[in-house]
Amino acid sequence: MNSKENNSAEGGDRAARDPAPSETEVSPVNEGEGMKRAAAKQLIERYYYQLTNGCGDPNCRNAYCSSCPEFCFRHADRNSLALRAIDLFRSKVKLCDDHSNKVRRPSQDSDDFEETSIKGERPSTSSTLDAENYVTNIVSAFIPSVSKVTYLTEEKVYSIIDDCKAQDDWSKLIHTIGSVFNSPDSLILSFRKDAIYKKKSPVVSPSESKTRCSDISEKSSMDCLKSESGRDLSVKNKKPSNILDSVTLDIDALRRTFSRLMDIPGHPFQSALINALRSLSKAVEMDIKYHNALKRDPNYINVFLIVFEIPLLHSPEFIENAFPVFCRALGHLSIHGQTLLAKVLSQYPVDRLSEMLQALQQLIIVKVITGEGQWGQHCQLNDDDGIVGATKVMKIIYYASIYGGKCDSPDQIEKEKRLESLEGEESNEFLQGAVGLEKEPYTVKEDPLGKELSVRASDCRKPLIPFDEFVNDPLNDHIDISTDYAYYRAESDLKFSFVTHNFILTTASKHTSMYFDNRIRMLNERRTSFLQTIIHGAPPMPYLKLNVRRTHVVEDALISLEMFAMQNPGDLKKQLFVEFDGEQGLDEGGVSKEFFQLVVERLFNPDIGMFTHNEDCNLYWFNPTSFENDGQFTLIGILLGLAIYNSCILDIHFPMVVYRKLMGKIGTMDDLYEFDSSLASGLQQVLDYPDDDLEDIFMLNFHVSYHDVFGNNLTTDLKPDGSTIAVTSKNKQEYVDLYIDFILNKSVERQFKAFKRGFTMVTNESPLRMLFRPDEIELLVCGSKVLDFHALEEATEYDNGFTAQSKTIRNFWEVVHEFPESEKRKLLQFTTGTDRVPVGGLSKLKLTIAKNGPDSDRLPTSHTCFNVLLLPDYNTKDKLEERLLKAIMYSKGFGML
Amino acid sequence: MAATRRLQKELNDIRQSDQKGFRDIRVDDSNILFWQGLIVPDVPPYNKGAFKIEISFPAEYPFKPPKLAFKTKIYHPNVDEKGQICLPIISPENWKPATKTDQVIQALLALIHDPEPEHPLRGDLAEEFTKDKKKFMKNAEDFTKKFSERRPSD
Repeated sequence: MNSKENNSAEGGDRAARDPAPSETEVSPVNEGEGMKRAAAKQLIERYYYQLTNGCGDPNCRNAYCSSCPEFCFRHADRNSLALRAIDLFRSKVKLCDDHSNKVRRPSQDSDDFEETSIKGERPSTSSTLDAENYVTNIVSAFIPSVSKVTYLTEEKVYSIIDDCKAQDDWSKLIHTIGSVFNSPDSLILSFRKDAIYKKKSPVVSPSESKTRCSDISEKSSMDCLKSESGRDLSVKNKKPSNILDSVTLDIDALRRTFSRLMDIPGHPFQSALINALRSLSKAVEMDIKYHNALKRDPNYINVFLIVFEIPLLHSPEFIENAFPVFCRALGHLSIHGQTLLAKVLSQYPVDRLSEMLQALQQLIIVKVITGEGQWGQHCQLNDDDGIVGATKVMKIIYYASIYGGKCDSPDQIEKEKRLESLEGEESNEFLQGAVGLEKEPYTVKEDPLGKELSVRASDCRKPLIPFDEFVNDPLNDHIDISTDYAYYRAESDLKFSFVTHNFILTTASKHTSMYFDNRIRMLNERRTSFLQTIIHGAPPMPYLKLNVRRTHVVEDALISLEMFAMQNPGDLKKQLFVEFDGEQGLDEGGVSKEFFQLVVERLFNPDIGMFTHNEDCNLYWFNPTSFENDGQFTLIGILLGLAIYNSCILDIHFPMVVYRKLMGKIGTMDDLYEFDSSLASGLQQVLDYPDDDLEDIFMLNFHVSYHDVFGNNLTTDLKPDGSTIAVTSKNKQEYVDLYIDFILNKSVERQFKAFKRGFTMVTNESPLRMLFRPDEIELLVCGSKVLDFHALEEATEYDNGFTAQSKTIRNFWEVVHEFPESEKRKLLQFTTGTDRVPVGGLSKLKLTIAKNGPDSDRLPTSHTCFNVLLLPDYNTKDKLEERLLKAIMYSKGFGML
Repeated sequence: MAATRRLQKELNDIRQSDQKGFRDIRVDDSNILFWQGLIVPDVPPYNKGAFKIEISFPAEYPFKPPKLAFKTKIYHPNVDEKGQICLPIISPENWKPATKTDQVIQALLALIHDPEPEHPLRGDLAEEFTKDKKKFMKNAEDFTKKFSERRPSD
């Protein structure tokens, strides 16, 4: 009996199960011949085991399965069964695929497995071979026809669905999905938009079909190459609109198909899909880890795209089983592959991208929550495969979101780089000149993926998905930053650190990470200073100690900080320790908090003229005509750095552009909107002015006028002889660019340079720039602006006899919640030494309220260093309110009680 | 000064147009950003007098709008006691750099002639204007006679 007859005998059954058998027989070929061989080998093996062992289902209806009651080769010996297997494979008879992953039983009778001559293409030998070798030999003989892989198309799925619906039996759909999603090769061929299916090769001889297929594959790979190079070009022009064209996957068809599948009540294919995905993930992991699959076949990317489209991905069953494994596999993707994937994803609609992100977040959350309680000494989040894999995949989406988002122009970035290196040289000179010893500047490790895509988070003003959607709160709640930091420092490929995937971290976590970095650095400083003591006999200076007079805070601070900066800028990285002259306060944090407050208050006073205040938006800007020497601005810069280093919060209202500039960006139109929106919109209207009579209407020249603090009008040319050059519709863009550049950069260049120098003196060796975006720096410096006293109440601890239920405490919160904003701030100032909210909100404040004796007339007191409020056990609410108000209204200075 | 050329031209244009409603424009040579002038309405109840106004242009003119203020007291729902006016055309949101000062003056005259009680700066006057127009007209006329500048003779 040959297989053809068999087919016709079983014709009725088969046709019903597989309505388009001829379609499946087309043999699209790709370059990976080895892969096809492996796939074919596997398939033949599966046929063989189905014939010998069966699928295990007693109700199996497949006549080619030994489990089936109507098994047609029941009396054949193993050798003939092996031949049958090859026949079956060639004619693509259906496999009982639910057991395809079954671990192969070692065949005991492999010894009597006689080699048979196959089609005469191989000389028969009498040697005995084990099953595997045997099959391999067979496979090598049948390469041409081996490349047949099942795949799906939109129409095919629809017809299968319709069939199944008609019969009310979903097994066929289940089988099809199970087998296609099982193998990367099938997925690569599925839902293709190129003409690959249309070329139906009728019966052709193996050699013919081979040449034919290679023709096709060459052509399609040529197409790929073409579009690839086209894309590269377009990337340079920042117009990456046709990346999707280079993808051979018909995403729209795929989505339609999935939504159709989702309409099937009960999703009968779900478990098959999960199982298939699991084995797919294993195959994918092997392929990308060892076979560099993506380089061999660019279409391999289709596999990832298809899996990400599965709408059930975020359902509990998938998150439990298949999705983490897949993420882990995807985590092994090479940088090249990640880049490609990110580029493709950046062209996706935003909501699709968001959904993918949500699925990943959900996966991480589930993993974190289910592991709750076990995270600790021996089990770190960093070691969980699922979480790590998902985070790695999230990184691809993160960069896709940046890549597709609104980024600064390449010209601008180029300009910034130039400025940066220029400044770097200058400041190095400055520091070296002062110190006399060279130090390795902190090199910011650029993310390889970001580098490949040539995008940086700081260059992106508006990513497709807002940055904070990448933050995963449960993860941040459970992460152990110290371990994570240790992993980061280990710099080993085996250790995964979230520092290099810091988009998932909250600003608070990142701050902790930087805190460890700072502390280690400070410890190092201390150690060296101790060594110096031994060698040079100089007094040990483990701290950055400032002694200032309350009446001359600014002057004293300026002089001593300048001394430190000249002698050894490294001292600035030591822990700050402030003493007010003649006061007893011991600086455990509280005194420096007040020190910062006082200095900032003084320097930002408009009377001093260092900064101008914009009433509209309550923001300060550098006074372009200030008389102060650069030292004052450097001091402000140092203070800003010290505040971040020592986790203090400053009451500074700078526009965001200041922080952007600190991070090496330059001010542009978008920044002007925040800082002076009416000017920005005025300039924008010049740009938008449609007619050619711009010159007559606006009568502008290339110069700019502004007021100094005394209200005098000053004028500056925007370019040489600018006052004689008229602005026309042709050069208006240049004019606006120069205008904004002048306002935000040029006019305050001297002041800002001094300011930035101070800031970098403190922060030049910290991972600040790697970890934080400008808006997060602002958060670090200024704290969050919202006062949530209910969060504070929840996080507050009680001591010395008070509990949350104490009458006085209940009175206290009732009184406090009724305070107006200004008094709440005063209370914060009183208990913590600053009225700003720390990073992460008031709940991070760790306020403690302690009982300070029984009811008495004493006023409440506080230890600002430890955020402790000492409250006598007042009898009545009114008394409490009166005493509390009195205390917070008239407080200043430190003293022992 | 950036704004000079345009302001000089605008000033000349307004002076040459010789309009009745806005006249006697005085500008200090040293500071063209500050104008003074006389508003002469020709509609009752304000046609019994004239009103001094000041126009100050910001250094960033024309990117930022000029500011107007009455220096003569006026009984008008859209002008407050300090002489400040709420004129949509020069509010920062609506301002168009292509708008000429002359257009601003015309908008001001239109507002003076035709008060907008829906957007008042003085609620009491707006209420009087809508509820008892006659009383409002009487009060405004008395007020104008009492406080306003003398009208130019021609």
